[in-house]
Amino acid sequence: MTNPSPLIEMRRIIKVYPPNVVALDDVTVDFRRGEIHSIVGENGAGKSTLMKVLYGLTHANAGEIIYKGSAVHFREPGEAIAAGIGMVHQEIVLIPEYTVWENIVLGVEPVNWLGKIDRQRARRLVQQKIDEFQFNLDPDEKVENISVAARQKVEILTLLYRNVEVLILDEPTAVLTPQEIPQLFAELNRLRASGRTILFISHRLDEVLELSDRITVMRKGKKVDTVPASSTNRQELARMMVGRDVLFTTRRKPKPPGEAVLRVENLTVREDHGRVRLDNLNFEVRAGEIVGVAGVEGNGQFELVNTLMGIQKPTSGHIYIRDVDITHFDILQRRKFISFVPQDRGKMGASLSAPVWEDAIMTHHRLNPRLSGWKGLLLNTRYAQEFTRQLIDTFQVVLPSPRAPFRTLSGGNQQKVVVGRELLLQSDFVLLDQPTRGLDVGSMEYIHDQILRIRSEGRAVLMISADLEEIFLLSDRILVLYRGRLVGNLPVEQTNPQEVGSLMLEGQPQSA
Amino acid sequence: MRQKLLNALIGIVVALLLGAILLLLQGYDPLATYEALFRYSLFGYYPFATTLRNAVPLVLPGLSAAIAFASGVVNLGQPGQLVMGALFATVGGLYLNLPPALMIPALALLAMLGGVVWAGIAALLRRFFEMSEFIVTLMLNMIADFFTAWAITEPFKDPAAFSPMTPQISPNGWLPEWGEFNTMILFMFAAVVIAWFIFHRWKAGYEWRITGQNALFARLGGCEINRNFMAVMLLTGALAGLAGGLVVMGGPHRFIRGLGANYAWDGVMIAIVANNGLIATFLYGLFFSAIQTGALGMELITSVPNEISQVLQAVLVLVIVASREYLNTFVQQLAARRRAREVRT
Repeated sequence: MTNPSPLIEMRRIIKVYPPNVVALDDVTVDFRRGEIHSIVGENGAGKSTLMKVLYGLTHANAGEIIYKGSAVHFREPGEAIAAGIGMVHQEIVLIPEYTVWENIVLGVEPVNWLGKIDRQRARRLVQQKIDEFQFNLDPDEKVENISVAARQKVEILTLLYRNVEVLILDEPTAVLTPQEIPQLFAELNRLRASGRTILFISHRLDEVLELSDRITVMRKGKKVDTVPASSTNRQELARMMVGRDVLFTTRRKPKPPGEAVLRVENLTVREDHGRVRLDNLNFEVRAGEIVGVAGVEGNGQFELVNTLMGIQKPTSGHIYIRDVDITHFDILQRRKFISFVPQDRGKMGASLSAPVWEDAIMTHHRLNPRLSGWKGLLLNTRYAQEFTRQLIDTFQVVLPSPRAPFRTLSGGNQQKVVVGRELLLQSDFVLLDQPTRGLDVGSMEYIHDQILRIRSEGRAVLMISADLEEIFLLSDRILVLYRGRLVGNLPVEQTNPQEVGSLMLEGQPQSA
Repeated sequence: MRQKLLNALIGIVVALLLGAILLLLQGYDPLATYEALFRYSLFGYYPFATTLRNAVPLVLPGLSAAIAFASGVVNLGQPGQLVMGALFATVGGLYLNLPPALMIPALALLAMLGGVVWAGIAALLRRFFEMSEFIVTLMLNMIADFFTAWAITEPFKDPAAFSPMTPQISPNGWLPEWGEFNTMILFMFAAVVIAWFIFHRWKAGYEWRITGQNALFARLGGCEINRNFMAVMLLTGALAGLAGGLVVMGGPHRFIRGLGANYAWDGVMIAIVANNGLIATFLYGLFFSAIQTGALGMELITSVPNEISQVLQAVLVLVIVASREYLNTFVQQLAARRRAREVRT
């Protein structure tokens, strides 16, 4: 081989998370100086773990890391940064009340001879870095006032300020809107031109193909292959990732929707100190229709779910299901009409420590008389087991036993239990809040099929999702939330991701 | 299950070893001391009967705490609920006159009512004023303490006694002895069985357990959180109150100053050691009772002070609770290491 000697080599890395989850199964991979190297794979394929091992956030059970020709072992991220390897995580950790430059120098502040922070020099150094990489940031702006994309830049600059040569980015585009992504890519290309190495974790194949020099594909803890981006394509990458062919097109058949099932009238949520969270929402969801709710997180989705479910009282307005005004119903009364898949299984959708069957019968235990024993006081545990078996069979859940604790199931199987439980309720209206967030492609496809199935059964579906691709794949109609207002109500045939993206970002169809 | 047993075993063995070291340092013979400790608590009819009987005021408040904690309800009012139960039963025993077959159940119910009233005050304050039951139940313990002290020094004082105590209750309300065994232990067994059945077989128990694990999930699933909270408070109040009533009916047959002792707090501690498991609370309650009971006999024949039982208890609590989490991670890490070795080959 005539390859230039690599900057980083990870050899035969094995990592087992206790008790027996094999996250990395004998992975050998190398990264070259000055390349953008993407690591792709489904959730749980081990791409983040691989980077965490490199960065010293977690430790491998076996294997070695060669960096600049010598074996290294970083006990903690600080050592990795000192050696020139930095990582930007999915969740951004900055101090909102501090300015951009204060966040960047935090921890390595330049000081004057009195030991006081030399603010002018610090600010100047930060400005130099901003200019050097053309980051288009105001160093004096407070972090709480800047966009998510700008915060991400601050994180990257924080590492550049510490002179890292290798930047690891964990799914940086997941929090960005379509319009913000090209800018990030331009910046990453400039960083590469300056001789830095970029390791880019993603599962979005288009981006990866556009950006990278080489691509490493991981599946189930194993490295499948490393290929040059110029000699592969989306289909091939997807096949390597999933292990089989993947359909990228919708299987949604056009079908005229029926009568309105959910009707929301003038729904408004105003906080005590006057901030409007939901601003006079009016829309309906009809039988046999999937309505997608798009929007940057924090634009009213949370309040919409809470008012529909009855966790929060609206300030004004009404919610009807099949002409029954449920605005003042309590949660149990609502549950007779609503199936609900929450966005966070562990917080709202299940008890992690309970056995699977106990999570499977929630709500049914109130609505299904067969689960009740003597005088409605007893729980019919025998039927509960049978019910759980049915759910497991119907929704193809893979698990050791219905008595296993819920937390021992994989994410995809956990979600199947939650989705299955809710769909078995047979309600006319189904509310899905990020139903496939964090799932692997296989489980995602399965859940999507189920959503399409209930559409064909004539149920009404309202689906909130941060994933525009998912919204366009499934929805008949797209609602766009922007600062609590409904700024778009568009049939999917009459719109495109660009238009929805601008509505999400600016509340109006034309981006500046 | 196996891990729980292992945890208990390790805890007990380590605690006894640490206790032995302490005894050696003080110049006592640990083997002889332990021999006496268990001879006077487990081996023989009378010692065993005494251990069972002493377990009653530990196990019932322990069950109360275990059910409350496992349901996400911070009822720490067992001491107050216990003495209020004792007071209710005593007053009933002083003024009611029924044949024993009615009197005993009536007094037991009154005892539970005392606990229910005291827990109910805290529950209502939480329901209508959103006052944390954690603080309120703790504060009510003080009030119950002073209220019962007043009740036995003023309105219900035995005029013939020199110190604060009530007269003896009607003999019809005395719990009969069967040989060495006091029938109060039957109430304890029944309470364990019934509490377990409600907690693990009733729909309400199912909702309580899930609420304790994840309240938001339970709420979204349609569980009636407020009603469940109230039910758990009242049930756990009744269990603690029953303990107080049984202590009066089975023991001195009157309310004497200091009757509640530390029983309820020991019960809370036992629930924590048992990780809020009901059966585990029962078993640990018996074991703690054995140590407390045996220590009294041990003091008779050795020169070791019976305070050693408190040292043993404290060490048991620390070792069992500390080793529980550690054992868990340890077992998992062992498994992970084994798996990693398999992967490599």
